[in-house]
Amino acid sequence: MQYADHILEKYESRPRKWWQYLLVALILALLLSWSASSITFKGLAAKGAEVAKGIFWGLVKPDMSMLLTTATDGVPYLLMETVCIAILGTVVGGILALPISFLASPKIMPRPVAFLFNALILLIRTLPSIVWALIWIRVTGPGAFCGVITQSICSIGMISKMYMTAIADLDTSILESLDASGCTAFQKVRYGIIPQLTPNIISTVIYRFDINIKDATTLGIVGAGGIGAALIQCINSRRWTMVGSFILAMIVLMLVIEFASTRIRAKLARGQ
Amino acid sequence: MIEFKHVSKTYPNGVKGLKDVSLKFEQGEFVAIIGLSGAGKSTLIRTINRMIDITEGELTVDGTDVMKLSGKALRRFRRKIGMIFQSFNLVTRATALKNVLTSMVPDMGFVRVLLGLFTKEQKLSALAALDKVGILDKAYIRCDQLSGGQQQRVALARTLNQNPSIILADEPVAALDPVTAHQVMADFKRINEEMGITILINIHHVDLALGYAQRVVGIRAGEIVYDGPASEVTQEVLDSIYNGSAVPQAGGN
Amino acid sequence: MKKNASAAARMPLFDRIFKPETVTLPNGHTVLRPRSRTPLIAAIVIFALALSVKVTGFDLTLIVKRASQLTKILGQIFQPDASFFDKVLPPLFDTIKMSILGSVVGCLLALPYAVAASANINRSKPLLAALRFLLNIVRTLPTLVIASICALVFGLGTFAGTVAIVVFTFGVVTKMLYESIETVNMGAFEALESAGANKFQAFWSAVFPQVLPTYLSHCLYSFEMNVRAASILGYVGAGGLGILIDERIGWRDYNGLGTVLLTLFVAVFVIENLSQFLRSKLS
Repeated sequence: MQYADHILEKYESRPRKWWQYLLVALILALLLSWSASSITFKGLAAKGAEVAKGIFWGLVKPDMSMLLTTATDGVPYLLMETVCIAILGTVVGGILALPISFLASPKIMPRPVAFLFNALILLIRTLPSIVWALIWIRVTGPGAFCGVITQSICSIGMISKMYMTAIADLDTSILESLDASGCTAFQKVRYGIIPQLTPNIISTVIYRFDINIKDATTLGIVGAGGIGAALIQCINSRRWTMVGSFILAMIVLMLVIEFASTRIRAKLARGQ
Repeated sequence: MIEFKHVSKTYPNGVKGLKDVSLKFEQGEFVAIIGLSGAGKSTLIRTINRMIDITEGELTVDGTDVMKLSGKALRRFRRKIGMIFQSFNLVTRATALKNVLTSMVPDMGFVRVLLGLFTKEQKLSALAALDKVGILDKAYIRCDQLSGGQQQRVALARTLNQNPSIILADEPVAALDPVTAHQVMADFKRINEEMGITILINIHHVDLALGYAQRVVGIRAGEIVYDGPASEVTQEVLDSIYNGSAVPQAGGN
Repeated sequence: MKKNASAAARMPLFDRIFKPETVTLPNGHTVLRPRSRTPLIAAIVIFALALSVKVTGFDLTLIVKRASQLTKILGQIFQPDASFFDKVLPPLFDTIKMSILGSVVGCLLALPYAVAASANINRSKPLLAALRFLLNIVRTLPTLVIASICALVFGLGTFAGTVAIVVFTFGVVTKMLYESIETVNMGAFEALESAGANKFQAFWSAVFPQVLPTYLSHCLYSFEMNVRAASILGYVGAGGLGILIDERIGWRDYNGLGTVLLTLFVAVFVIENLSQFLRSKLS
């Protein structure tokens, strides 16, 4: 088929981006080959297939006696301990984050102070919680309390960050109108600032609680209380039915908390 | 030729979209379908390319029983029917040209679709389609940078690029300002006259319908209450379509 | 009367137990004021806190008593042992390699699964429920648990760690991706279907270009998280920095630990900023 000249011209003037794609592809290929260089598949460990089978059957036929006991090494108690660690860790972290987020807001504080506290928040956020737990264990000794302290510290990082966004987004025009109606400074904070921040703060804390529950299950692995320690022991000693009951219980707990947290936060966002 | 024979559509929730509709559209007609929102205009149009299944009666397009098609045959059947939407339904992040090219996708192999590889011939044909609706200069501009009227023209070019014999347009000008609406309607009229493509338009602007279409179908609560030339539509006919006051035997075909 | 009864039935359980108070305004109109929920919520929170304090043995005096130990450790961490730096680099690179490979493979696997798990693409309810259930299992397993299982299956080393990262990335990215796909404007998909495209063609040409930037952003985000996650996998024998961290703490060599943590901090900081820069370019 013949096309008019102005169409052929438009075709020739098309933006050519192939070298951009080529560059991205090249970088990706280089990165991948570099990464793959030291990661080699050495075949399954002697009993690899057996492990996979064990876990599968453990999930299908979990150890029911573990699920129904109230003993301190049973699933219900360990789950409760995990939840308790997350509750206290989140609440303490949420409270500690309040002053820190104000101290780190460059709008409110002098620059050097804000910088210092921002560095602290960054330090807390970048190091994985397990590392913090390993350090705290040297101070508090192993146990659930170590988990609480670890989570309190680790929660500060993210919660402060989110508080700070809430503070930065404060609608200050309301303060003006309160000023106009003759409010005192205390009244301005009480009726102008706090009502704006509360839904955000509660929402942030609930979100962090959701994360902390997941995190608390791993903390046990290093000895900081909760369900993780028992789970790892069972995995290492290959008691698959017990592994199955632990994993199932954890999944149910996390899904319930996640569902509730999403629901409550959606309600808060709609303003109820 | 499109032919409805005693067609009814009942939705799963019990709502009746169409009630015993019998209609015939010849090749090359320009028909406006008017009626209140929810009267069944969209349902009527969407049964033709079977975006909606009918529940009773028979619907044939060029002799093909639409309800007997499925899978590959249905997709091949849809290739010759273009569709235009109220909200344009473009990939807004992509350029105008890329959007027109998507109309070629159904004829392409898996690998070409996956990698988005279009031939020079396909690109030229897409550019020619853009030229037909007068926006060749916008070919390499992302659609979210275009005005509503320009976006609807991109959609029109996309449809023309599949060489349809029928174009179904579902409220094509509802999202446009009056001036642009007139321009787009004029585009439809030109396409209808120059290429002999059958055009069925759902529209709730009566003036536009009467100004551009040859024939008007009035629909109320799923029933056809008027079917006749646009020139014979009177105020009484409009009252019967929009207010439901009975006007016996208006028009006739 | 009947209308009233049905309104009462639609009331939340709370309002049915604690009946709303009827307030009569000065002009004679009456309004129903629902009882405040604050006391109930406060009671629940206080109970939960009290229980948690008891169960976890929360004791702030312990911190005060052991404060000297804490300052000693922190003091040593903040005086990193520079000579140890050479030993940190190889496991650090292992960690980064595991994250890159794991993120790429995990993100690639997530794409088809997320499409199949999107309610607006997959119309089969039972299939959708099954896919979501499976995903939830994978998603809720903690990374360290996955890693220790992988270490058992594949033997100790970086391969097990990489598989753990793949599984973890897959879970996170699939969930984020199907949520993005479900919010996509389906207009273009409908247009392509009406033009005779099959589901794959319509998805790939109409929906995927819309989610591509979000997808890449999710991938980069998961890579950021993975560097942090991979750094601890060594703790269960799955390669990377974790082995070193565990070892330094075991030997109470807090200066050496300081070196490891500082290096990790810098690496994570650089990668996060790079990734955030790329993500801001995407949108």
